[in-house]
Amino acid sequence: MTDATLSPGKAVAAVKRPTGASIGPRWTNALFIAPYMVFYLALLVYPLFKGIWMSMLESDMFDDTSKFTGLANYYRLFNDKIFIGTIWNTVLFVLMTVPVFVAIGLLLALALNRSDRTSASLRAIFFGTSVLSVTIVTIIWKMMYMPGNGAIASIMRLFGLEPIAFITSSSLALPAIAVTTIWWIIGLPMMLFLAALQQIPGELYEAAALDNASRWRSFWSITLPSIRRTMLVVVIYEIVAQFQLFGQAQLLTQGGPNNASRPIVLFIYEQGFRSWNLGYAAAASEVLFLIMAVAALAQFFASRKRVEG
Amino acid sequence: MAASEHIVGRGIGNKLILLSVVLVAVIWMLPIAWTLLLSLKPNSELMISTASAFHPPYTLKNYTDIFQSSGVFRWLWNSAVVSVGVTAGILILSSLAGYGFARAEFKGRDIIFVLVLLGLAVPEQAVIIARHQMFSDLKMHNTYPAIILPGLSSAFGVFLMTQYFKAIPKDIDEAAMLDNASRFKIFWKVLLPLTVPAQATLGIFSFLGAWNDYLWPLISATKPEMFTITVGMASTQTNFAQSEGLGFLMAQAIFAGLPVFIVYLFFQKYIVRAVAGAAIN
Amino acid sequence: MSSIELDSVSKRFGSVEVISELSLTIHSGEFIAFLGPSGCGKSTLLRMIAGLETVNGGEIRIGGERVDHLPPGARGVAMVFQHYALYPHMTVFDNLAFGLKNIGTPHDEIARRIEEAARILEIGHLLQRKPGQLSGGQRQRVAIGRALVKDPKAYLFDEPLSNLDAALRVRTRVELARLHQQTRATTIFVTHDQVEAMTLASRIVVMNARKVEQVGTPMDIYGRPATEFVARFVGSPAMNFLPVTIRDRAGLATAVLGDGSTIDTAVPLDILPTGDLRVGIRAEAIHVRPDGAVPGKVEVVERLGDRTHLHIRLMDGNTLVAEDKGVSQVQPGDTVPLAVEGATAHLFDDAGLAYHARQ
Repeated sequence: MTDATLSPGKAVAAVKRPTGASIGPRWTNALFIAPYMVFYLALLVYPLFKGIWMSMLESDMFDDTSKFTGLANYYRLFNDKIFIGTIWNTVLFVLMTVPVFVAIGLLLALALNRSDRTSASLRAIFFGTSVLSVTIVTIIWKMMYMPGNGAIASIMRLFGLEPIAFITSSSLALPAIAVTTIWWIIGLPMMLFLAALQQIPGELYEAAALDNASRWRSFWSITLPSIRRTMLVVVIYEIVAQFQLFGQAQLLTQGGPNNASRPIVLFIYEQGFRSWNLGYAAAASEVLFLIMAVAALAQFFASRKRVEG
Repeated sequence: MAASEHIVGRGIGNKLILLSVVLVAVIWMLPIAWTLLLSLKPNSELMISTASAFHPPYTLKNYTDIFQSSGVFRWLWNSAVVSVGVTAGILILSSLAGYGFARAEFKGRDIIFVLVLLGLAVPEQAVIIARHQMFSDLKMHNTYPAIILPGLSSAFGVFLMTQYFKAIPKDIDEAAMLDNASRFKIFWKVLLPLTVPAQATLGIFSFLGAWNDYLWPLISATKPEMFTITVGMASTQTNFAQSEGLGFLMAQAIFAGLPVFIVYLFFQKYIVRAVAGAAIN
Repeated sequence: MSSIELDSVSKRFGSVEVISELSLTIHSGEFIAFLGPSGCGKSTLLRMIAGLETVNGGEIRIGGERVDHLPPGARGVAMVFQHYALYPHMTVFDNLAFGLKNIGTPHDEIARRIEEAARILEIGHLLQRKPGQLSGGQRQRVAIGRALVKDPKAYLFDEPLSNLDAALRVRTRVELARLHQQTRATTIFVTHDQVEAMTLASRIVVMNARKVEQVGTPMDIYGRPATEFVARFVGSPAMNFLPVTIRDRAGLATAVLGDGSTIDTAVPLDILPTGDLRVGIRAEAIHVRPDGAVPGKVEVVERLGDRTHLHIRLMDGNTLVAEDKGVSQVQPGDTVPLAVEGATAHLFDDAGLAYHARQ
């Protein structure tokens, strides 16, 4: 700092009455959240309650009226073999996919947690399919599964095997949808695990190597404990996401054969927008909401206990 | 990045692992390669056997046909309008609300924030019947607003932006207060420019989400000229075997997948960061 | 420049009172330091003056005008933050101009002020850069510049030197002192570093556990610390404390150590309370001398070049730090005679209150 006297300024504060913000609560501050709240209330909260209300109505298609029937729709649902079947199918689908998402997602993440170019390209390949829309994915996989012309059928014929009609077999339709789903969005759990792995300080592994720990031992005593939280995130996220199975089933199998691959959301869609039993469909959607909430909550509490204990 | 790649004595094991992953990746790409092959074959040959895909002749005719006869362009345009609309809307609403929840105090704010977070737990299916009814009552189905607006109620962006605003040191706001900046000015001129990375993340997520959204557009847009590309591609599959031709269908699928794939290639860095960020939170 | 008056100011966070009924007058043009350990409430007090914390009771006046209900921007003060808080996406010029634009200052006036501040702070060549491209010291100057251009009624510094490395901190300290001599601006400087407070301030407010321990000139604080806390916090090495009994020496107190050796203090006997007392002596008042009355065994020798600190255990088991010349011959394990300058010794009671010699 050199010689200087700050020459006296003109009275700056007097130029204009200051309007600066002040601390503390002000109701005007609520204006920042107001625009979002309009959408939130109108398109989420309101329809949520309207849906609950609708689930207690029986609508009449012919004169466009509806009457209150209490829990009749729910009663009917639980006596509807098709609906119970869709719950079972959905749970089965979740059981088929979630463990695979965790296992393969983690394996890929472990293998590709490197900084070289090859690993980067491989990561891009496995994640890349996730950005495709469900309709493109099902077109691609129909061409895989088609019994006459499909790629898998061709390969099987190549080995002298009789081609299998995956999507028209009642025992293989759901697994076929599961395979398609895993191919489609395995990238997400992989990325989540990668992010978690990169949070682990490298010194831990170096210390372990100096302590003569094998690769396997490092994995069990360093990697797994460090990514427990991510594991939980992946499991909960995938359970919630796979419970919402819809597009793959609707487009690959139409829920067939004989309802063998019909998930809950497809049931809701068909009841609501094909048969226009709106009250009935609304009731089914509330049941789905409840199952998902319970699944997420159960996971949440189970994990908390384990972490605390 | 890699935790243990440089540790001496693990080179061979690492190489073997990488090799097996490369093999899996090749298998992973088979379905797309198959689709690509089929899209390059004349329909007439595929009618006889798809095995012909492994040898020439190959043709681009299926792609040129798209330009002449297909609704794909209209659907792509619809998807673009919808995705840009959803993205812009989410960015504006989430930025404002995120700043509000993170920085602008008012009575009841914390309770409202908890209520908004609870909204994250509400799946689309739980509200979709009622939403459909609402837009029917307003006679708005088969319009862009009907396809766009429900997406703006998602709490995800608000949550993300709130977290991001909270992470910005508070003394920046305080310096701006001492500099006589108003609330809105602090938001607009001082803090918003600092959230560009989060805006990119949220923007890409929102764009891809809207582009690939299937259930709501399927229900709301019933006229083919209002289909998004996702719904449009679904409509071409219903009579799969007897459609205009396998090759043409495959070309459509590849063509329809291109825009998002290009977005993915360009913004891969941000997408990865977005996913990673979501994981750490 | 304006005076700042705090009139029985209180602050609560929830049910915890962090500042209670604090009154203080900072004169126009004065450089005052709030000194204390972290969590003592010094930053909270500064932020209350700035308008960044609400005031739960009492009044704050700047230049005679009551401001505690005004938003920060309307109080006419400028603040330099610990982490500088520069706007990262704006150039240095825009950082300096932002506050002036917000109150509608004409363009040519903004340009003139920035040019002048840039000249004083020697940051003219940095005006088009962004904060991310600056070094820590340069950012510091820009942060000061942002305060300077506003020509404020008072400058508020919140630990502004704590992020600089040691050498830069010393240099910036001198520059701040020079800047204050030129501007004669009312300045409040919050720090936990006693050296910064001693060297910069004309008066120091020592705070601990959310209350003011002492307000005084640096030499007051050092020479006549009001409490044991102040005595321990200011000065390095910290003051030695030894339990003593008192004997009358013509109205003055003679302190008797555990091993029976004595220190003749200048503290009048009549001001002392009954109860246990301790004597407080700074290291520079304890020397190794052949005629020393207090024997002790040297445990650790710290050589600082210009002087040497000796950590010594007395016969009664208490320890103290004494000072010796730079080329001290003393070795660990030696038993040495210590001479204590009793005239500068203080006595402290159980509550930590200090009793000094008459001035």
